[in-house]
Amino acid sequence: MPFTDAPPTGVQAWIKGRPNGVMMVLAIVMLAALWGLDSVSVAANRIVAGSGHASWEAFGWVGVALASLPLLLVLLLAWAPTSSRLNLLLQLGAIILLLILMPVGLVVASHTLIDPQLPQARLSAGAAFWVVLFCAMLALVELRLRLALPRLWIALVMLGVALLWWLCASLWLDRLALVQEFQAREAAFWDALREHLAMVSIAVGVSIVLGIILALLIRRYRGSQRAAFALLNFFQTIPSLALFGLLLAPLAWISANVPFAANLGIQGIGYTPALLALVIYSLLPMVRNTFVALEAVSPDVLDAATGMGMYPSQRFWQVRVPLALPILLEGIRITAVQAIGLTAVAALIGAGGLGAFIFQGLGQAAMDMVLLGALPILLIALIVDSGLGALGEALRQGASDD
Amino acid sequence: MIELRDVSKFFDQTPAVEALTLSIPKGKFCALVGTSGCGKSTTLRMINRLLTHTRGQIELDGQSIDAYDPVLLRRRIGYVIQNTGLFPHWNVARNIGLVPRLLKWPTAQVNQRVEELMALLGLPVNEFAHKYPHQLSGGQAQRVGVARALAADPDILLMDEPFGALDPITREKLQEMLMQLQARLHKTIVFVTHDMDEALRLADKLVVMRDGRIVQQGTPLSLLQKPSDAFVDSLLGGLERGLKQASLTRVKDHMVPPGAHLAAPRVTTEQTLRQALSLMLRDQCERLTVVDPQDEPVGELSLDRLVKEAFHPKERPRDD
Repeated sequence: MPFTDAPPTGVQAWIKGRPNGVMMVLAIVMLAALWGLDSVSVAANRIVAGSGHASWEAFGWVGVALASLPLLLVLLLAWAPTSSRLNLLLQLGAIILLLILMPVGLVVASHTLIDPQLPQARLSAGAAFWVVLFCAMLALVELRLRLALPRLWIALVMLGVALLWWLCASLWLDRLALVQEFQAREAAFWDALREHLAMVSIAVGVSIVLGIILALLIRRYRGSQRAAFALLNFFQTIPSLALFGLLLAPLAWISANVPFAANLGIQGIGYTPALLALVIYSLLPMVRNTFVALEAVSPDVLDAATGMGMYPSQRFWQVRVPLALPILLEGIRITAVQAIGLTAVAALIGAGGLGAFIFQGLGQAAMDMVLLGALPILLIALIVDSGLGALGEALRQGASDD
Repeated sequence: MIELRDVSKFFDQTPAVEALTLSIPKGKFCALVGTSGCGKSTTLRMINRLLTHTRGQIELDGQSIDAYDPVLLRRRIGYVIQNTGLFPHWNVARNIGLVPRLLKWPTAQVNQRVEELMALLGLPVNEFAHKYPHQLSGGQAQRVGVARALAADPDILLMDEPFGALDPITREKLQEMLMQLQARLHKTIVFVTHDMDEALRLADKLVVMRDGRIVQQGTPLSLLQKPSDAFVDSLLGGLERGLKQASLTRVKDHMVPPGAHLAAPRVTTEQTLRQALSLMLRDQCERLTVVDPQDEPVGELSLDRLVKEAFHPKERPRDD
């Protein structure tokens, strides 16, 4: 199987029968965070700094013990030399259980720590919470590779967990600062989300079309290959903020001097420079992957296609393109994930999107508002990444089973 | 019938093939042999115009290949390459049906032809039709490659080191299969290989090439008997030549009517002289009794006569 990213069988054989160091370290770090770091903090209102609370204060000793159980199980299973598939599946189950317990813990904490007499009081997730979340994600990736599970599978698990968290948040976690930030600007949030997604889709859509055209041109005019990639590489090295700034002046000039362009909505700040910059950044991964994808098709296969009597156009559409598709899709995935992150910066030049919450939050020193912008961006990036990854895997497997 | 007359091929200024003249009669199996870089693959690829010859004439059945559209020409010529070149995203049935579909045969006819070919090459339809190339062993994949080349029933088959990447046992099986196929189908085959034993085993006509030129051509036996120079001699195995010649000769071509006294060790008429010689060495005897398939003695073979006759053997008729 040339196409999966699971460890080759030789590695699997080597892994077998040894303690899984990665999972052990992750479990120990999670346990240490749970016991040693603040798991939540409570603030009297939005402005004052919160005071941290250790896990036992938030969930009680029983709660901490309960949360430690799946982690201890993972530690034990990872250390035990019986490295069978069941063992790994049990570890996966323990990690998923932990992810389900986390919002429940926050609900418990909001009942034990928040004085219902103080309507302004709010709960924030603490260091332990984020560390455990981060390690749990790493553990999911590790277990997916060991078990050679399809990406789609893990994407569905993540989606299920996310939905569960959303449910907890909307039903019982009205004291969570993040939820309060959301409720205070719900309409603005959905607008920002729409803007963000619109910008990303337009930028990725345009760069797919442009990228494919450019890649085909480079293939046609081989002499341009070095120069073209040098130029695209150069664009990639300009810091994003600088590129937004650089586009400001010429676009403002065009807007002021070309009435037609101004009518189209082209101006120095806002959507136009943001989209332009996003497309410029997206071009390198798109062009490079498309080019490599088309070039990577086995010369034997192409020789056979020609030798059997296919016209060049038949060879291109029936052989080269279908075989290039998985790598091409990889390019779209990289481009999309990159654009989702970069669009956050576009808020700085007035393009809107979820980045606006991040920069407003930074300005007001309201970390929970920053999270309101950052967490959805992270989630969208993860969903798009695993979704397109799963699609690519399915395309590759279309050729393996049927 | 394939005719190459004074054909040369230059890549930039470097000659790959020079002044090559070769005629391959219809239905004959011609092997091009030589070390790598001798121009044998180039010669093959000029026949279906994957490469354009720089000088000279190439004719198929008296018609210059320049008169054909190259794409249409290739659809009339079967083509098999070393690493199969099967399309990894198509299953076996679709791969085999490629050329018929390019020729716009009706679907039912394509399917029927695919099943016919799979049966011909020993690939059970139920088991293999829906498999993808990466699910096949090397030998199975090359069977599919041969089936694909035969799909539109071309008169000519070009094979570029088709068995070069296979292990010796699989290679021998596929050689056997190809011999049986050829005995039934009588294609005009051009077969490129650097494996001299393979060429000796399969070919009606052997063409030895070096540095873009033909060094010697003829039947395998004629080359074994009279290699034109030291290069051909070493390619043919040097000291081993005698045994290779023996393995191309059947016992029945050298036996004499049985004498009064029958020797104990027996060989059949269809076995090779090489096997007979081996038996003599093993059983320490100079005479063997030759038996027919019904185990009836029909002649005898003596070491003495073999040694004297070795330079004037009768030509062995080919497998047809």
